[in-house]
This record gives sequence, structure tokens and C-alpha cells, in this order.
Amino acid sequence: MKTFNNKTLMMFLLIISGTGYIASCTNENEAIPLAATTGPVITRGSNVHIPGNMTVGNTSEWKLDKSHSNVMWSTNYVGAAGLLTGRFNQFGTHEVTDAEMTTYTTTGQPLKDNSWAFYESDPTKTFINGYVQINTSNTGEPGRDAGCNISALGTTAIIAGTQNLSMTNLAKIKSTEVKFDPLSNDYIVTLTLTWKGTLSAPITKSVVGKLKYIKRATVGTTAAPYDVFGLQLKFQFNCRDFGIASTSISDKIDIECNMNFNNK
Amino acid sequence: MDNSFFAYIQELELIAFFSGFPLIYATILVVAGSSNLKQGFKSKLVQLLPYGYALAGTLYLGLILKNLYPNYSLENIQHPYLTIWGLLAILFWIPAISKKTSISLMHSLVIFIVLIKNLLTQLTSSSADINMVRNDMKIYTASLILNLGTFACLLLLSFVLNHFRKKIIT
Repeated sequence: MKTFNNKTLMMFLLIISGTGYIASCTNENEAIPLAATTGPVITRGSNVHIPGNMTVGNTSEWKLDKSHSNVMWSTNYVGAAGLLTGRFNQFGTHEVTDAEMTTYTTTGQPLKDNSWAFYESDPTKTFINGYVQINTSNTGEPGRDAGCNISALGTTAIIAGTQNLSMTNLAKIKSTEVKFDPLSNDYIVTLTLTWKGTLSAPITKSVVGKLKYIKRATVGTTAAPYDVFGLQLKFQFNCRDFGIASTSISDKIDIECNMNFNNK
Repeated sequence: MDNSFFAYIQELELIAFFSGFPLIYATILVVAGSSNLKQGFKSKLVQLLPYGYALAGTLYLGLILKNLYPNYSLENIQHPYLTIWGLLAILFWIPAISKKTSISLMHSLVIFIVLIKNLLTQLTSSSADINMVRNDMKIYTASLILNLGTFACLLLLSFVLNHFRKKIIT
């Protein structure tokens, strides 16, 4: 009788335990994991920025804030060591035509910075043109900038009070295609880089760069607010293509253009 | 995080130490009652059941002390009555109490009922959480292993002591 009772107890406990195990073995409540995202989260707005006539006070026309922009270059010193860097003091966002390649007697911008447009959601409409005056390269060493650099870069020295946009002193870029970067919020830009360097005539090379849009924001005082946005263009080119023979610098030159615009 | 979480954890601790004993108890009694084992061995198996249970209770006391370290404040105990009930298992070290093996079954059934209550609550409520049922059953499995382990330890110890006792006598 006692064995029977023990068996009954064991059966009872086994049934309860078995019920618990069976109930716990269902797949209910098991949340199906979400599919992993295969790419970055990309969000783009629909901002459109164009220079128009660059009329002062027209908030829909954007002006290059040259004094708060810069064009910088960097390369490995002697092609092996740390970075040698510099900037161009004079630059602009104008498509310099052959007729405009001359010397201007002014200390300000010689040409209107109006050869660009930016469409955040439609890169096919976006285009960029720009130039730098080679002899304004500034490495922080006046002896070098006004000395050996002039001949090494195939240009002429700065003449005070003038802006030299002549063929020998001009390097210019022109975008031929702008498209979305599939891996980020940026844009892939195909450019042509035209520069004479130390060659007998300017040559044009195609380079690919990356354009970053720094979104429009309102700044300034409460009484006089205004909007700003930024474009950052980075690309690389081979200076040997332009006849630069200096062994102090690497073949590859990195260019970074930080352009700030406002609608004042 | 409110106290209900800690109360649930302490309930799981009790389940982990004691809920597996009834099934081990019933299985040992059935094995002892029907197998062709020697009578002495059978009675030894049954006799050791409450001691194995007492060992589980002692381990539970160790866990309680570890949890209360360093200030040993009783305020941290969410289920005082159930905890005291669990600690009463240590009393089965006393031969006079462990003589009546069925008391250990009665004692552990209280905790087993807590497990059943948890399972029924989860399975019958509208917002049944199968993960909790699954967790309860994992704890129950651990309890079965623990109680089987404590019993096996004492059985082994008993054989070793018997062996040496016989050696000393001879």
C-alpha cells in the first residue's frame, strides 16, 4: 500500500513537472528579431541653396563667406614623414573662363562667387566650380611661400593689391557629376582639376571627391538673425601629373575646401 | 526597479533549493520499495533523504547570508515567512526530526506549491509570459539536480564513513 502511495505521489509529481516542461517548450512569446540593417541610416532633407545674384539682404540668395572659409592642402613631407600642410589665402567659387584669366587690381574677390548650386535631395542639379591662386599658398614660412614655392609650383610672386587669376597662377575645379554617397549622408563628386603647374600648358585631370553638407542653421542675434550652411569638399590629386618635381612633398596632395555660406 | 522584482528573485531562490525534493523523495521511495536491493541499503536510502534535504537547507542559509552581506539587514528579505520556512530545513540535521522522513516531504511541498502557483498564474493569466514559465522550469530542473546532488553526497559520505568504521572495528 505504501509503495502504491509512493508511486502515486511520484506519478503526480511527474505529471505536474511534465506539464510545466511542455508548457515551457512552446515557442510563443519568442520575438522574432528584426532584420539587421545592412547599411547606414541616411537622412537627407530638401534644402536648396543657390547664389542667385548674391544681392545683399536677399535671404534666398546665398553668399560665400570667404573670410570664414578656407582651402587647405596637405601632403606627407618628403613622401614619407608627417604631414606638411598649407592653405591658399585667395580662392573663390567662380567658374573662371579663359577671358577672365587675367590680373585684377583689387584686394577683394576679383570675381563673383556665384558658380555653384546645392540641392540636398537632387544631386543631379548640384554643381561646384572653384579656383585658387597658387602663389597664395601659405605654409606659415614666408621664406618658403614667397621663395622656392613660387618656382617649384611654376607661378609668379604675389604683387600687392592685385589678384592674379592668370593661367600660370590658377588651379580650378569643376564638378562634372554629383551623386549620393550610398554609405553616408555625403555626396560623391567627380571633378576636373585644371592646372598648369610647371608644364607648358594647363592640363585637366579627373578626380573624385567627397562633398559633405553641413545643414542650414539660424545664427546671429535675436534682432538680426541670419542663416548659414557649409560645404566641405575633399579630394586628392597627383601633383606629378602637373609637373611638380619637388621631392619635399609626396605624389599625393590632399585638398580640403571648407566653404561657409550665409544669406545676409 | 521595485521590490516585486526582488521578491520574485527570492521566490526563485526558494524554488531552486527546495522544489525539486518531492520528486527525488518519491523516486527514492519507489526505488527503495520495489527494487531487489539489500534491505540495509534500502533503509539507508530512505534514512538519508531528510539529511540530504537538510544539506540543501544549509546551502540555502549560506546563500541568504551571502545576500545579506555586509549589513545583514532583514529589511532586504521580501518573503520573511517563506524564508524562515526554508531555513527550517536545517532542523532535519536533528536525528529526532529526520526520523520521520515524511516531514521533509511536507516541508518541501510548501515550496513546490509556490512553484505550481507561479506556473498556474503565468499559464492562466491573459498576459501569459512563457519566458517566466520557461525560467521557472529551468530553476526547477536546477533544484532537481541540487537535491539529487546533496542526496548523492550524503550517500557517498555515509558509505565512506561506514567503510572506515568497519575497518576500525576489525
